[in-house]
Amino acid sequence: MNRGSKILNTKVAGYSSLITFAVLLIAWIAGFSSRLFAVIRFESIIHEFDPWFNYRATAYMVQHGWYKFLNWFDERAWYPLGRIVGGTVYPGLMITSGGIHYLLHILNIPVHIRDICVFLAPVFSGLTSISTYLLTKELWSPGAGLFAASFIAIVPGYISRSVAGSYDNEGIAIFALQFTYFLWVRSVKTGSVFWSAGAAISYFYMVSAWGGYVFIINLIPLHVFMLLIMGRYSPRLLTSYSTFYILGLLFSMQIPFVGFQPIRTSEHMAAMGVFVLLMAVAALRHLQTVLSRNEFKKLFIVGGLLSAVLVFVAVVVLTMMGVVAPWSGRFYSLWDTGYAKIHIPIIASVSEHQPTTWFSFFFDLHILVCAFPVGLWYCVKRVNDERVFVILYAISAVYFAGVMVRLMLTLTPVVCMLAGVAFSGLLDVFLQEDSSKRLANTVNSVQEIDEQEESLEKKSLYDKAGKLRHRTKHDPTHETGISSNLKSIVILAVLMILMMFAVHCTWVTSNAYSSPSIVLAFHNSQDGSRNILDDFREAYYWLSQNTADDARIMSWWDYGYQIAGMANRTTLVDNNTWNNSHIALVGKAMSSTEEKSYEIMTSLDVDYVLVIFGGVIGYSGDDINKFLWMVRIAEGEHPKDIKESDFFTDRGEFRVDAEGAPALLNCLMYKLSYYRFGELKLDYRGPSGYDRTRNAVIGNKDFELKYLEEAYTTEHWLVRIYRVKKPFEFNRPSLKAKDRLIPPTNFISRKNLKRRKGLIRNRPMVVKGKRTLK
Amino acid sequence: MWKFLLVAILAINHCNAVLESDANTLVLLDNLAIRETHSIFFKSLQDRGFKLTYKLADDSGLLLSRYGEYLYKNLIIFAPSVEEFGGDISVERLAQFVDDGGNVLVAGSEKSGDALREFASECGFELDEEKAAVIDHLHYDVSDTGDHTTILTSALNLIDAASVVGNENRKADAAPLLYRGTGLIADKENPLVLKLLTAESSAYSYNPEQSVSDYPHAVGRNTLLIAALQARNNARVVFSGSLQFFADESFTMAVQYAQNGAFFKQAGNRPVAESISKWVFGESGRLRVASVRHHKVGEKNPPEQAYTITDPVVYTIAIEELVQGKWQPFKANDIQLEFVRIDPFVRTFLKQTKSGSYEARFKIPDVYGVYQFKVDYNRVGYTHLYNTTQVSVRPLEHTQYERFIPSAFPYYTSAFSMMIGVFVFSFVFLHFKEETRTGKDDKKTQ
Repeated sequence: MNRGSKILNTKVAGYSSLITFAVLLIAWIAGFSSRLFAVIRFESIIHEFDPWFNYRATAYMVQHGWYKFLNWFDERAWYPLGRIVGGTVYPGLMITSGGIHYLLHILNIPVHIRDICVFLAPVFSGLTSISTYLLTKELWSPGAGLFAASFIAIVPGYISRSVAGSYDNEGIAIFALQFTYFLWVRSVKTGSVFWSAGAAISYFYMVSAWGGYVFIINLIPLHVFMLLIMGRYSPRLLTSYSTFYILGLLFSMQIPFVGFQPIRTSEHMAAMGVFVLLMAVAALRHLQTVLSRNEFKKLFIVGGLLSAVLVFVAVVVLTMMGVVAPWSGRFYSLWDTGYAKIHIPIIASVSEHQPTTWFSFFFDLHILVCAFPVGLWYCVKRVNDERVFVILYAISAVYFAGVMVRLMLTLTPVVCMLAGVAFSGLLDVFLQEDSSKRLANTVNSVQEIDEQEESLEKKSLYDKAGKLRHRTKHDPTHETGISSNLKSIVILAVLMILMMFAVHCTWVTSNAYSSPSIVLAFHNSQDGSRNILDDFREAYYWLSQNTADDARIMSWWDYGYQIAGMANRTTLVDNNTWNNSHIALVGKAMSSTEEKSYEIMTSLDVDYVLVIFGGVIGYSGDDINKFLWMVRIAEGEHPKDIKESDFFTDRGEFRVDAEGAPALLNCLMYKLSYYRFGELKLDYRGPSGYDRTRNAVIGNKDFELKYLEEAYTTEHWLVRIYRVKKPFEFNRPSLKAKDRLIPPTNFISRKNLKRRKGLIRNRPMVVKGKRTLK
Repeated sequence: MWKFLLVAILAINHCNAVLESDANTLVLLDNLAIRETHSIFFKSLQDRGFKLTYKLADDSGLLLSRYGEYLYKNLIIFAPSVEEFGGDISVERLAQFVDDGGNVLVAGSEKSGDALREFASECGFELDEEKAAVIDHLHYDVSDTGDHTTILTSALNLIDAASVVGNENRKADAAPLLYRGTGLIADKENPLVLKLLTAESSAYSYNPEQSVSDYPHAVGRNTLLIAALQARNNARVVFSGSLQFFADESFTMAVQYAQNGAFFKQAGNRPVAESISKWVFGESGRLRVASVRHHKVGEKNPPEQAYTITDPVVYTIAIEELVQGKWQPFKANDIQLEFVRIDPFVRTFLKQTKSGSYEARFKIPDVYGVYQFKVDYNRVGYTHLYNTTQVSVRPLEHTQYERFIPSAFPYYTSAFSMMIGVFVFSFVFLHFKEETRTGKDDKKTQ
């Protein structure tokens, strides 16, 4: 340390801040650019499903103002229930991009709100890497921080949620998460009210942005709790946590969607419990200084037992009285991975709520997943207050990421940080500078580095790409613990690994995460040309141009936001899956026969039905493949009418060919997907009605629709829209030939184009004096 | 002079009996003689303002519509034995005509042809087998020639709907109706078929020249003599099994029950046939919604965006009936209003305020969503009156909640007492520092 302060001069400080600035800038630019694949390949467009709602809400807010948005009652969603958007949305995202829009327009930069929405996540990825740098710097060293910042800028696990056009809460929430943690660690370190109030404000932003704020409000109390258990109580901790908790609680209750949850639901109870515990510990500490040892012991035991019993009874009673809500289903499924599948099919039906495969850990994190335990080990080995935090962060995030694919996102930042620590530690060893003279030029100031580090190394070093070249020139004759050859090999190997990491990240981003999913692209295997399938937008545009403004469109909930966003039509269910029974009703309509579903559809005033059908082009995410979830969700609410087992063959297979279950072959979804498909021959040799997605010839080919009529089918049959006939179109229930008591004669028309005269049998002649009819 | 004026006014009134737009009528006949034998019926139509165009049913130049526009609003088919219509007309075309809102009056006979049978089944009923006639051995007219097919059926067998059969005609002492023709069989599953006239309970439908070997298709009151269909688009089709029912002869003939000898100067056919023709061609029993208004109590116009939950609301609907070619207020006391969001949340009778104007006042339920004001008035003999008005009901805005609630007063108190406390404390903390020192001094001195 002394030596460090000696060599510290303005020049070195200047270099180090220049390097820091340059690295962060480059990380920002690299992160931003690598998220632009989708925009360059396709266009500046909002992706997927949820972003469409966020975009629509943002556009509404920009157009009508904040208060109108807060009170927005959307009658076009969840027909006929409606949705109070202002009260059921995390408004942080809309406010952020609306604010940017407002600012730019004040500066007379006329940017369309869509472009702001498209590029918001890439811009925020830069802020995320800066806050990751700050957090890692607090935890370890500026060098590790720079590594972490560079990692998080390009790591696929984070890019998956923040490519341009993926306008979703997570895009800004990860920044808020990291920044809150940074401020929290800072406040624990300093014990300053300022930093912890800052952490509370940042937490407020996080609450306004994403439901994942629950992670913060459980992790920070857990950190405090662990510190208490480890006997690391300090007044700093008391100040920072009590400030953070009280302010954070009040702030978080200001978000209409959160409301009273922080004091009423079990998810938030841990924070309150830790707060009480911390107060108790502080009080005891104080008593300890006042009372004698014996008195204190008695008081401690009696008081401790009493309060434990009291708290337990209070929580149980409150939960039973319903004041404190039990844990929500999504929360249960975090502990018991099989819970959702049995109890809440709607949660299990979402692919991002599935457990993670080990493959996706490597896919999303690559080498970081190997380096991350090393970093964790460093932290455990040289533990202090804030490293306890990162250890807890890492362990809990790993667990949650294993439970749900989606929570890979919360794991990614901590993996980047710990991998940064690991690489930094590795290079500290292998880039050790021998000549202290050279240090003067290269090393940046590292006063914050802990004593332990100093004992390991004489000088902790900086591991920058710019310096690596310098190191390789290094004269091998110097005396060190490790031979310089070995050093160069290791450094080269690390460099190779990092390079491969960068290549992998770019490859994954480009291939896996840069598809807007509303525009599909495929490569023709014969001539390698790239074809664009724009069927979704084709269909939505058709809806917006050819249907009545208040037309109600029934589709599976996945497409609700897109229909609302692109076609601007009323939907029955959408991706905000708040009402399970309404979704079950739609699922029941889809899985019943045409007659039964017509009853449901008329009771819901449905005008059009939209289905996604991938059988022509082999698109696997279509409605038939999702169909079992519709059945399961419908069964959950209507167990008498819908049974999942009816849709399987005797051998328990789900198949659409002639051997498929009759319930499946006659349900509405099947008919709507395969209407007229039986006539279609996809290639010359193959049979007609061959479904490419399921590789089968469909089982029910010739059928007519009675209650619906085909309204539109897109170019590749990907989206099919049907019009539900109105009751007056079945104007007169005519008598079918087979139901007639008097069998019809087989009269053959004798009319033709030329002879248009009809036929009157035994035309009566007027004979005077007699009756005409006899 | 006065008389002349009166006649002129009456004539104008008569001409207005049917709406100008509904006047064009095509009459298809087996032979032009029917025009003469049914002249009273046709005359009464013409007097009411219908423009009749007579054509033979097999005319090769028949045309229902030209350039997508229908030439006729109404169609009379008095051609029982037509096997195939000529020109543009076919059974499918007729069905399409009904689906597009056209009214059809059809009369068959014992020798009904194939075209009529097909068309009947399109409308939900059947004509009995060829040569089958309605036979009633107890209620036949004295003029019957022996096979008891010239039957009389009491006026009480008419459907109980004044708008279809007239106010005066369905009475116990009214003259019976003379009928000779085949029976009709209605589709039991079809809810839209109306049984305008049934035979007596002793009647059945069978071929009079054969001995009864099978069970007849229609027996007793199930034997329909005249059946009607009011389609869901309010197009009306009337099917009579007897062309004779509308003939001059039946209109003017004196009838006498052969069994009990009860004598009537004139058969009841004429007024009934005229009432039925009025109904089928939309002169009577037509309702329409003239206006619908809804607004909050104390306001004039509906809210711009949406109602708020628990708003008191007024719903007014004006309903009109076509009487004598004029839309006049409709009076009834059984019209209901429903306020529906999937299920009805409110169901109430509408009260008549002015004549033909109905009103309901109620409080919107405390549930937000998209609702419909729904008036669904379905009475036999009237057009199906169905009107829905969609409105949104939104929850309270953030400024509409109560600002200060009593249960929060402890918290207000604690907040303000805290503020005062902090203020006082800081005051004490800042200004009494020295006094604590002196206090210590005091302690020392003590």
